[in-house]
Amino acid sequence: MLRKKLFRIGLSCAVATGMLLGLMTVTHAAERVVNLAGWGAKSGVLRSFGVNSEAVYHAAIKEVNDAGGIKMGDGTMAKIELTYYDSACNAEQGIAVARKVASTTQALVGFGPTCSGVAAASFGIFQKKVDDASDSGLQFPILTDTAVRNGLAKISQWTFRNTPNEPDMYDKLFAWVRKNNPDLKTMFGGTETDQGHSKGTYAKVIGPAAKKHGFTWATGEIPAMTGQIAKGWKELLDSSSNWLMNDTNFSVQARKFKKSKADILIVSSHPFTTCGMLKELARQRVKPKVLIGLTSSSSAETMKGCAKQAEGMIIPTSFAPITPQAKKVAELAEQFGGAADLHSAAAWENIFIVKRVIEETGIIGKPGTLQSDRRKMRDGLEALENTVGLMGNIKRVQDEGEALKPYVFVQAKLGNWEVVYDPR
Amino acid sequence: MEDFLFELYDLIQSAADGVLFGSTYALIGIGFTLIFGAMEKLNMSYAASSFAGAYTGLAVLSYFDAPFLVVLLSAVLSAGVVSYVVYLTCFRFIPVHNHLASLMASVGMLFFIDEVIIHATNASPLAFPALFDEVMIEIGPFGLRGDLIFIFAISMLSTVALLLLLFRTRLGFATRAVSQQGVAAQLCGIDIHRTNGITFIIAGMLGGVGGAMIGASVGMLSPLLTIPVTVKGLIVTVIGGLGNIPGAIVAGFLVGASENLFLFLRGVNERDMYVMLLLFVFLVFRPHGIFSRRSERD
Repeated sequence: MLRKKLFRIGLSCAVATGMLLGLMTVTHAAERVVNLAGWGAKSGVLRSFGVNSEAVYHAAIKEVNDAGGIKMGDGTMAKIELTYYDSACNAEQGIAVARKVASTTQALVGFGPTCSGVAAASFGIFQKKVDDASDSGLQFPILTDTAVRNGLAKISQWTFRNTPNEPDMYDKLFAWVRKNNPDLKTMFGGTETDQGHSKGTYAKVIGPAAKKHGFTWATGEIPAMTGQIAKGWKELLDSSSNWLMNDTNFSVQARKFKKSKADILIVSSHPFTTCGMLKELARQRVKPKVLIGLTSSSSAETMKGCAKQAEGMIIPTSFAPITPQAKKVAELAEQFGGAADLHSAAAWENIFIVKRVIEETGIIGKPGTLQSDRRKMRDGLEALENTVGLMGNIKRVQDEGEALKPYVFVQAKLGNWEVVYDPR
Repeated sequence: MEDFLFELYDLIQSAADGVLFGSTYALIGIGFTLIFGAMEKLNMSYAASSFAGAYTGLAVLSYFDAPFLVVLLSAVLSAGVVSYVVYLTCFRFIPVHNHLASLMASVGMLFFIDEVIIHATNASPLAFPALFDEVMIEIGPFGLRGDLIFIFAISMLSTVALLLLLFRTRLGFATRAVSQQGVAAQLCGIDIHRTNGITFIIAGMLGGVGGAMIGASVGMLSPLLTIPVTVKGLIVTVIGGLGNIPGAIVAGFLVGASENLFLFLRGVNERDMYVMLLLFVFLVFRPHGIFSRRSERD
């Protein structure tokens, strides 16, 4: 009798366990996951960039997942999972991560990298033209958030960027400076020559934009500079007073700035040397009528390091917490251990761009459909004409894979970046 | 003529700025040379431990809003502790004659300390309290930075203090004995490991002064500083003569001045090339350093 009872209880338990396991399997099968990969500098001296991007990605992913996830091509709702790798600011490491993600993971799309130098090197290993059978390069879509040097997405048809368009921003900035200061005539400046973004933007974008709007080089005309992007960039660098990204003594450079007696001074570098240079300019009592900085210096780091000396500096930026959504992202980024700035804010937009493309192109998100899903993602990214950004509508430059983002001009005022011009 | 005078003033001013800024290199160079003098080994993580001290000082400042003197003291003490840890991990237990092992261990420690700082601060540059930052002493057409003059004075004081320690105290006597003849020193009852450990602590504390002074002169601390300061410290140590403290001071000024002059004359892209060339010149023609009586090579 007892044996029979025990048998019944055992059988019931087994059946219940079996049903529970079955239910769990069904639930698991229904819970589809969209795997995404990101990489950036999480070690080395540019670690803050990677940390900020990763924080904003996770904040955006939580927002999407909490709202139910992404609707896949077969109607299933899927949650997003992101794996963020450390590519430092090292081209070899960036290439290794790109290869690994493309060939050994289920990632649908990749985000990153941080540094323009890494992007320039690693984008070269992707298939240059889609469907080119003779090109065995990686066929994996990339949507960059940070690497900002001009024209990088053109390297491959698999690479896209959602980064500020510096040529456009500086062109508009100098037009604005010209309009508001018709009496200003001359300019002089310098950059950190061992930093690709600072140097490239200074010589190929900022200088030519200033020239285009009628400002002349204070120490003598540079004939090779015509005002067109990248024209005469070597000559401009030779005529400038430059430094390196880990320099600590700027006395010689600042004296050349002073000696130029230019109306407009350009300091094209990242916060550490921007502050060093600005402090030395202040020591030497150099007071330019207009001071222009590099996009990457419109950050809290500059304010922490040299708010007093940066007073008055004007920088174009594609992110400022001036819309409700941008304010919300800035707060969420802090909660996730980072900060939202013109580089990392793009991470938020990227997640929503990917969500939109998945939903519009009918990506399935199953292991068996990975290759076709990646292709759909690439085609979908290329087809985008406009996307929704934190500061407003972002126009896609389709054949180049680039973005034209809304921007504002900010000026350092009493320890804060204040918007002085908002053309949106 | 006026243009020529302006250029000349600029040249002299550049050299003067360089000499003053060279005092920060000198402070780091002294530490390198002190350790080499005691153990005949290079501690490549010396600048990193100096900055670790400076960062600790900065932490004290941010948590307790402490005055600069307390920040400096914290930097000095913590750099001494970090330096002792470096001694224990990279030198103490490695066979005395295996120079390469301790060298490589200290290189590893350099990157380890640097990466710890990077992770602790997210590599963001942090504002360090500046000292006499806005003081400019103007003499005719020339101007000298008050903070750099202060660092210059600190380097001089540190040299005098170190020389007194080495030549007027029992510890200095023991340090010199260990560096000259370790076995004989041990036979005389001198504890080699204790002496070396104390030397590391003293050098570390001096590095703490150097790290804090560099932070004060730049007005910021950043992990970007570690490698260039390590390289400059090594150049200063070699040019000054390995183990020669006054040599390190003078070499610091020389490297600082050369750096600024080459920057003025040839621009930033060629500057470091000429500084390295200066190092080669010394290695070839005065391999034992600037004050060496011997100029012969082996």
